[in-house]
Amino acid sequence: MSEISVKAIGIFKGYKSFFGKNTEVLKDITLEIRSDEIFGILGPNGSGKTTLISIFSTLIYPEKGSLKILGLDSRTEKDAIRKQINISTAKPNFPWSLTVRENLKHYAMLYGMYGSELKKSVDEQIEAFELEEYRDIKFEDLSTGLKQRLSLAKAMLNRPRLIFLDEPTTGLDPEIAIKTRQLIRRIHRENEVSVILSTHYMPEAEMLCDRIAFLRHGQMVAQDTPQNLKNQLHLGERMILHYVGPVNIDELEHIPGVMRIKAEPGIAEIVIDRTAENVDRIIKLFAGASILNIDIIEPDLEDVFLELAR
Amino acid sequence: MNWRGELNKYLASTYKNWIISKRNVFTLFELFFWPIMGLLTIGLLTRFLNVSSNTVSFLLVGSIALTILQTSQMDVAYVLLFDMWSKSIKNTFIAPIKSYHLVFGALLFGIVRGTFVFGILVVVSNRLFGFDFLAGGIAPVLIFLVGVYAMAAVIGITVCISILTFGQKADVAAWSLSGVVLLVSGIYYPVEVLPPALQALSRAIPLTYFLEYYRSVYISGPHNIVLGALLAALYLVVGLMMFAWSIERARRTGIMLRLSE
Repeated sequence: MSEISVKAIGIFKGYKSFFGKNTEVLKDITLEIRSDEIFGILGPNGSGKTTLISIFSTLIYPEKGSLKILGLDSRTEKDAIRKQINISTAKPNFPWSLTVRENLKHYAMLYGMYGSELKKSVDEQIEAFELEEYRDIKFEDLSTGLKQRLSLAKAMLNRPRLIFLDEPTTGLDPEIAIKTRQLIRRIHRENEVSVILSTHYMPEAEMLCDRIAFLRHGQMVAQDTPQNLKNQLHLGERMILHYVGPVNIDELEHIPGVMRIKAEPGIAEIVIDRTAENVDRIIKLFAGASILNIDIIEPDLEDVFLELAR
Repeated sequence: MNWRGELNKYLASTYKNWIISKRNVFTLFELFFWPIMGLLTIGLLTRFLNVSSNTVSFLLVGSIALTILQTSQMDVAYVLLFDMWSKSIKNTFIAPIKSYHLVFGALLFGIVRGTFVFGILVVVSNRLFGFDFLAGGIAPVLIFLVGVYAMAAVIGITVCISILTFGQKADVAAWSLSGVVLLVSGIYYPVEVLPPALQALSRAIPLTYFLEYYRSVYISGPHNIVLGALLAALYLVVGLMMFAWSIERARRTGIMLRLSE
C-alpha cells in the first residue's frame, strides 16, 4: 500500500492588509494525496492554487488546520520536510547572472551537498533535462522553455520524495509544453517521486493527473479522478448532427436523457446522457431529413471546470 | 549531515554573491572608484585645512572605516536583495537553511571585499598622505576590522529584516541606518562635539568604541574596546534572532510570496 504524501485537514489561510483587513484565500481545505500519484490542483486564476502549493511546500504557513507532509508535522518538523521536497515555481526565476550550472551548484549547496555528490547531482540533472549545451549560458539569456527545464532540474537536485510544480507549462509554446509534460511523467515514473502540480490548463491535468482537486474562491469544490468527476457531474455527451431537410427540433425535449439542445438551421447540438435507446430515438427524429454527419463528443475536464466554476 | 554539508550551506551565499559581483562591471566602482574618491576627498581636505598629523590620522581612519563598513554591509544585505530583485526568494527559502547560513555566508564575502578595499586604501593613504595604517602593528588592525565587520553584519541584517517585515521598498529606509552611524559614531569628529542626546546614542553603537580604540594607537586617549565588543556581539545575536523571527513572520503573513512576485 502506498504512503500518504500530504494529509491536510481544515486548512485556512488569509492575508492581512497593513490596516488589519483579512482576505480569506483558502477555506477549510481537507485532502489526502498518495505518494504514488500525480495530483493536480485546478482552478481559475485567484482560486488559491499557488497559496495551497506554497503551504504544502512549507514556504508559508496556514492560519488554521493540521498538515502532514510525508508523514511529518508541518509545524514542528519543517526542516526534515524541506530536505525531502522541492518546488518548481510558476514563472521560474533564478539569479540572472548565474549560468545554468552555477545556479544548480548554488542550490545544491543550499541543500548541504558537497564534493563529488554535489558535482554528480548537478551533472545528472543537466543531462536528464538536456541542458548540456546550455550549461554555461546565463539564466537571463535562456528561453522560457529552457528556464522551465532549469527549474525542473533544480527541483530534482536533492532527490526529493515529493515535488511541487506550480503551473509548470504556463507561457510555454505547445511543443515545449508537451516535452515538459513528458518530463514530468518521467520524473514521477523513473524517480518514484510524488508529484503535486497546479494548472488551469485542463488537457494538461487530464493527461498527467491520477486525481485532481478543484478550487474555487479558496474552497475545494470537488476531488476525484478525472473520469469519476466527469461521471459524477452528469455532464453528458455532446451529439452534433449536421443535416438537410425538415426536423421537428422541439420533439427532442421529450426524449429521456436529453439535457440541453442548441439548434441552428442545419445543425443540432444535443447534450445527452447517452444510452443506446435515446440515441436511437434521436436518430429516428431525423428520419425525414438527410443526416450529413454525426459527432459524439465525450465531456472533458474543460467541461468539468466550467461546471464547477459556475 | 556532516560538517562539509553544513559548511556548504554557508558557502552557498558566498558563492552566489561572488559570481554576481564578478559579472557586474559596477563592482569595480564599489571596490575602487568610490573608496578611492572618498579617501582622496578627505585627504585633500586635510591638506587644504592644513590640519595637524593627529587630525589627518583621525579623519583618514574614519574615512576608511566608513568605506569598509558600507562595502561589507551591502554584501550582507545582498543575500536577500539579489533574490528579491531576481524574484527567486521562493527557491532559497524552500531549502532547509537557517538565517545564520545566509548571514555568515554573505558576510564572508563582505569580509573578503572589505579587506580588499582596506588593502587598497592603506596603500593609497600611505603613498599620498603619508599615513601608515599599520603603524600600531597587526593586532589593532585586526581588532578594528572585526569591529567594523560586526557592525556591517548588524546593518545588513537590519536591511534584510526590514524587507521581510515591510516589503520590497523598505530597503531604502534601512540603508539610512549607515547615515545614522555616520552621524553619531564619530567617523569625522569626536563624539564629544555631539549634543548630549546624540552622545548617548553614539555610546550604544559599537563602531564608536572600535574607532576610539584604533585612533588611540595614533592619538592617546581613552577607549573601552571590551564594551564595544560586547555590544557588537549582543547586536549580532539579537539581529540573527530577529532575522530568524522575521523569516517566520514573512511565512505566516505571506510576504514571502509577495516578495517573489
